[in-house]
Amino acid sequence: MQGALLLPLVYGLLGLFALGFAFRSVRLARMPVHLRWELAPVPHEKGKAAYGGSYFEELDWWTKPREKSLLSELAYMGQEILFLKALHEQNRSLWWVSFPFHLGFYLLIGAGGLLVMAEGLGLAGWARAGTGAWAVAPLALAAIGHGLGLVGTLGLLAKRGGDPHLRAYSTPESFLNLILALAVFATGAAAVATPGFIAELRGAGLAVLTADAGAALPTALAAHVLAVAVFLGWLPYSRMMHFVAKYFTYHQVRWDDEPMRAGSALEREMELQLQRPVSWSAAHIGGDGKRSWASVATEEKSS
Amino acid sequence: MNAHTRIRDIGRNGQALLSPVSLSDLAPLPAPYDGPDDQPAWKELTPAARAAMVCNLDGVVAAGLPHPRDEVEERAYVDRFVAGLRKLLDADANWTFLQPLTLSLEYCVRCQSCSEACPVFMASGQNEIYRPTYRSEVWRRLVAEHARPGGRFTAWLTDGHVELNWTTITRLYELCYRCTLCRRCAQACPIGIDNGLITHELRKLFSQELGWAPRELHEKGTVLQLEVGSSTGMNVVVVKDNMEFIDEDVSEETGLEVHSPWDREGADVLLIHNAGEILAWPENPAAFAILLDAAGIDWTLSSDDIGYDGVNYGLFYDDVQLARIALRHAETARKLKVRKMVMGECGHQHKALMTIADRILVGPMNVPRESCMALLEDIVFSGKIEFDPSKNDFPVTLHDPCNIVRNLGIVEPQRRILRHLCPQFREMTPHGVDNYCCGGGSGFAVMSGNNFADWRISVAGRVKFRQILDAFADQPGPEVKKYLCAPCSNCKGQFRDMFQYYGVLEKSGITYGGLVELIVNAMVDVKEPFIEWEMH
Repeated sequence: MQGALLLPLVYGLLGLFALGFAFRSVRLARMPVHLRWELAPVPHEKGKAAYGGSYFEELDWWTKPREKSLLSELAYMGQEILFLKALHEQNRSLWWVSFPFHLGFYLLIGAGGLLVMAEGLGLAGWARAGTGAWAVAPLALAAIGHGLGLVGTLGLLAKRGGDPHLRAYSTPESFLNLILALAVFATGAAAVATPGFIAELRGAGLAVLTADAGAALPTALAAHVLAVAVFLGWLPYSRMMHFVAKYFTYHQVRWDDEPMRAGSALEREMELQLQRPVSWSAAHIGGDGKRSWASVATEEKSS
Repeated sequence: MNAHTRIRDIGRNGQALLSPVSLSDLAPLPAPYDGPDDQPAWKELTPAARAAMVCNLDGVVAAGLPHPRDEVEERAYVDRFVAGLRKLLDADANWTFLQPLTLSLEYCVRCQSCSEACPVFMASGQNEIYRPTYRSEVWRRLVAEHARPGGRFTAWLTDGHVELNWTTITRLYELCYRCTLCRRCAQACPIGIDNGLITHELRKLFSQELGWAPRELHEKGTVLQLEVGSSTGMNVVVVKDNMEFIDEDVSEETGLEVHSPWDREGADVLLIHNAGEILAWPENPAAFAILLDAAGIDWTLSSDDIGYDGVNYGLFYDDVQLARIALRHAETARKLKVRKMVMGECGHQHKALMTIADRILVGPMNVPRESCMALLEDIVFSGKIEFDPSKNDFPVTLHDPCNIVRNLGIVEPQRRILRHLCPQFREMTPHGVDNYCCGGGSGFAVMSGNNFADWRISVAGRVKFRQILDAFADQPGPEVKKYLCAPCSNCKGQFRDMFQYYGVLEKSGITYGGLVELIVNAMVDVKEPFIEWEMH
């Protein structure tokens, strides 16, 4: 009975998640190539990233091979994703609550990953999967993750509500996001405290995968599953999608220092952009919705 | 200032100032600029000026927008503003910055980590309207309600509400000219949200859709440059005369034969100065000529079209004007068949031609472009010229122009030169890509109408001024002559005004100039000091 109510909701919310996530990610990825707007430091600049230098420091830079370091970029990203390095440097008081909030999610993802891995190994016939450390680690990660998440979320709520500068710029969505996250962590903490949590969670996962409407879950776990589904269903429509946006802001804006090369794909792409119509209507532009950017930009005189 | 100015206040009470800037709120300066009489009084706007122009933001007028004739005209402008909001988010109208703008529109989590990175906000005593996120939030609310599907409920949920009226758009317009586009806030943002870009895009909306832009940037800037050849108003005859005079003058002073070559087809280097140098700081193009000749560089200037003025104020407010100027710069180089274009000491010229316009310079227009910093470093360390660093044995510090350093990542060549040629070189704190703007960025250096120069120097340049004084804190008095190296024409314009405003040469013995002047000053073959310790 419980499963019959819960399952359609979970499927619907997961569908919303998939739809929103795909739509917003693909939309960002398919936007036109823009003009360059990089910002130093660019970590892939080999030997120069430490002080923010770029290939423009080289004499006749276009005659020399680009020396890019993927390792430096990965190191930068790793510190940023795992430790919120920029926030640590720029806004330490917020970092103290934001870091446990994010770390809580990371640990939960880690716990989920271990559970899935153990299940896979078990299906492959490895008898020890799901026992010993394989059983303890997900439980420990989930417990710590929910605890840290709770602390972080409550801290973020206190900061948003208590700091007048943050409050003035907060919107109903800012609080809604945190309340949904709080529901995830609070129900999760309650569920973890229930005896047999991992086994029950495994059962819930299988019920969702097999569409077993007859599955019965402990109340705390059922509440947690619902909270997670609601959270995920809302996530791609909120500013919490910044974790995806961050890929684009870093890789396609701040670090996009790819120069124009004759005969390159980029050049062909830009030739197409220059054929887009100009519709700006100020007198000096002369855009009529038909003339192209190339035409408007190369006209003899402007007034 | 109003301590509790809220975002929605921008559209309310249009007859009053939203948040006046007050001298008593400004961050303190060190001695001898800390006394009550050391801050010059600001120019008062006359009642006639107030009657003629919109002045409803902070008591400062940068844009000088005339009042509308009637409510019909007001309404028409508001409607055009809404049309512009939508065009900013349209792939055809704004492909140039659509993706970065969308990212900054939709993903700011409103953590305010950027606030303290902003020198304007901090120098003002944290006037709320100067907070980097204030104008961004106003824009987000307007977009949510007027340029996106979803209606008022969605707008309320995700962004909030501000009234859309004449007061809102005129305050927002003026507020776009309270940010120097230095992008320090973007650098501080953990997500990569760029409030500088938002300001840039709003300026574009006002220019490209409503035809609103400060006169100094538009009529006397890009329009004049496209018509005459230079935003200084110099046509080719005048600029050639001026350069000839500079060559004669510097030849006489140094004893070296200086002759700036014009229009040499097939030259290795086409050097493009900001033409303001030729008028205001002639020692700069003179020093370039001395150095390039001494190093045996095959170089030329161009008198073709706009090829003698690297200025491109379109960078600050209008993509179409930016493209028109950049394309004509590139065409000049293409026709001359030079191997490369070299940017003179001008930050925004670097950014406009080397990165922003890079992707529109397709096919034969893609003539290689290089910073003078790289060329100068090569010359200094080539061994072709003999230097005596003891000729530069005075305290020197370096200002990092945002457009050259934070935006292009050209950090070390100028430093290697200064460390080599200036025994008393010292850095500011912070410096390099973490530098502070001079306060004259984004076109401000050429904007002095009404009382804007007072604001530009006292507020926008305040943190930088403090940095300069701190860099020389070990020898603060006027008896020790000190040099602020500012390798950017617009930055020098700001320092010229700033130093005159506070009497810095008299009180602290600090003058300013470019990098190339310091290099020439250290040349063994230049017998008399090239740097003059006077205000210029």
